[in-house]
Amino acid sequence: MTQWLLAGVLGTLFALGTFLVLRRDVVRVVWGVAIVSQAANVYLVTMGGFIGAAPVGDFREATAPSDPLVQALVLTAIVIGFGTTALALVLTYRVYEEHGTIDTYELGGEGL
Amino acid sequence: MTAAAVNDPVVVAPVVVALATAILALVVRSNGRLTKAVSLVGGVGYTLATAAVFTRVVVGASGPLPYYLSNWPAPYGITLVADGLSASMLGLSGLVTLPALVFAVVSVSPQGQRLSFHPLYHFMIAGVAGAFLTGDVFNLFVWFEVMLMASYVLVVFRSGPDETRAALSYVVLNLLGSAVMLVAIGGLYATTGTLNMAAMADRLANPAVYDVAVAPTLGLASLLLSVFALKAGLVPFHFWVPAAYDAAPAPVTAVLAGVVKKVGIYAVIRLFFTVFAAAEYAGGSALGFVGPLLLVAAIASTLYGGVAAVGREKLSEVLAFSSIAQIGFVVVPLGVAATAPGLPVPASAPGETLAAFGIAAALVYAFNHTLAKSLLFLVVGTLQDTVGSVEFDQLGGLARRAPVLAAAFLVGGLSLIGVPPLIGFFGKLLVFRVGVVAGAAGSGVAATLAWIGLAATVVGAVFTIAYVTRSWNAVFWGEPSTRVETALPKRWQTGGREPATAAAADGGQAVGARGLAVEAVVVATLVVALVGFGVGAEFVLDAAATAGEAATDTAGYVDAVLPPEGGVEGVPAESSGGEH
Repeated sequence: MTQWLLAGVLGTLFALGTFLVLRRDVVRVVWGVAIVSQAANVYLVTMGGFIGAAPVGDFREATAPSDPLVQALVLTAIVIGFGTTALALVLTYRVYEEHGTIDTYELGGEGL
Repeated sequence: MTAAAVNDPVVVAPVVVALATAILALVVRSNGRLTKAVSLVGGVGYTLATAAVFTRVVVGASGPLPYYLSNWPAPYGITLVADGLSASMLGLSGLVTLPALVFAVVSVSPQGQRLSFHPLYHFMIAGVAGAFLTGDVFNLFVWFEVMLMASYVLVVFRSGPDETRAALSYVVLNLLGSAVMLVAIGGLYATTGTLNMAAMADRLANPAVYDVAVAPTLGLASLLLSVFALKAGLVPFHFWVPAAYDAAPAPVTAVLAGVVKKVGIYAVIRLFFTVFAAAEYAGGSALGFVGPLLLVAAIASTLYGGVAAVGREKLSEVLAFSSIAQIGFVVVPLGVAATAPGLPVPASAPGETLAAFGIAAALVYAFNHTLAKSLLFLVVGTLQDTVGSVEFDQLGGLARRAPVLAAAFLVGGLSLIGVPPLIGFFGKLLVFRVGVVAGAAGSGVAATLAWIGLAATVVGAVFTIAYVTRSWNAVFWGEPSTRVETALPKRWQTGGREPATAAAADGGQAVGARGLAVEAVVVATLVVALVGFGVGAEFVLDAAATAGEAATDTAGYVDAVLPPEGGVEGVPAESSGGEH
């Protein structure tokens, strides 16, 4: 059951993120990127499986625990995502300051 | 668990030196002079460290040297591995980062240097070195992020309208790339149960023993391929390249084009030729699947980059598009080799199989591109600082006014074209030869693809001649333009009077006569390197051959990294991604 639910959530998140990345508004694009990154994180956690017990404490007696490694991975990924999202938002503000717009069409139309 | 082999500190030295320099430069940044000194000493240290790794692994032929962080045995802990491929790439990075840094010290605005330039530069190098050395897939992701995070800021460093726009697309594309990479890594972990590259290769080679379903890894590997192609700027993932290279300060562009791009190439070689090559899929090997993909992307890059570069009206843009084309040249032999990896090659060629030969050819070409393109981008930076423009219609006649620069551009351009005795000649020769060998000795589709690859590189070479000649004519040949007359009324003599008047008036930075002299010396040093490595090409060819052998020797890599018993069952793994 959890698997199905998570699969649905993941699909929705990736779809939503992709939709936002394709918007004209840079802020929405940044949100889209943030959502895609978070979806990747959720996906990463699900890759550890949900069969075992919580990987906390003394489990010499108990059943095999779930894989805790993915949680270490996702922690690293979250920290990185936090930094990059902050950078992207600041960059968006700088783009607005320099160009007076955050419409990607107008930004691109200024010519390369 | 047996005690891990004694860790050789030389393996981690490049990463440690770069990280320590970055942090130290951050600590002392209120003192401009001290920051520069720390940064330069660190830059020298990094080059020495990479030279040490190169000497130990490639010259000393030590075989792959693993380094187990905190002595956690593989595959439980994070492992760094310096093998022939990693060491060669590291050595290459060390050759360029130092000249670019010296150039940056005089050319980047003093305020920028006080603010953040030096820490960022060394963080970027640390990311590069870490990516070259790591033996863990998730760790590769982390080092990519370290490298990219610094490069985002370096691209937007001058922070004008063009820079912010270029950085925006660079950041957004790479963030999406990172998310895709994370998905691929998560999937690989779920399928193979390990993140260690050696263990992954071992499990893919013996799927029955470890109960691994190999089929899904092919799709996940393709996801990784797209991410690496994005980092390398291969068509169709090249959109960020021209704007970002134009936006970044010249010395940063030199490193982005020369070194950071090569990280993508390295990752392709490492993961596909070392790790995924071990797996057998229903329809053939992983290399058989990615070979045609790589080849098509490479051919498209060569042709697109060449055509686009010929049509540009600005020297920096010509070079940026040329970078897309040149990466195509690097990847063509990889694609050809991947379609028929086991093909035996003539005794005179480096390597025993086509895979090793193709990698060696790609690396020699990458070596040439790194030196030549860094040199050319630094020439662009010097032009920017002396004349204040790199637009073709503003320039002309510089051969008479700045003969040193003109000679440097000529050597760099000729090496891109591939004129002997420069190292570019050997690069082109090997790339063509891979095509010929694979076309003549191969069979069926593989041979056809090899001939197509060969034809595309020949056409690409003609484009290279066209855009280098056109740039030379527009910038250095003919009568001096008005702008050149104003900026350099007489022949520019290093140490002479201040020639930066026009540049300063035009919003450029007044670098000063001494700064310009330093820039000229850096450029001249790279010229000497290009000629020197061309004359002593034996050295480069041997290193590339060692790297090619190391990259294709999956069994040797696995044996060197994993403990002898190779037991990886049961115990929950400890922090494979904890280092941060």
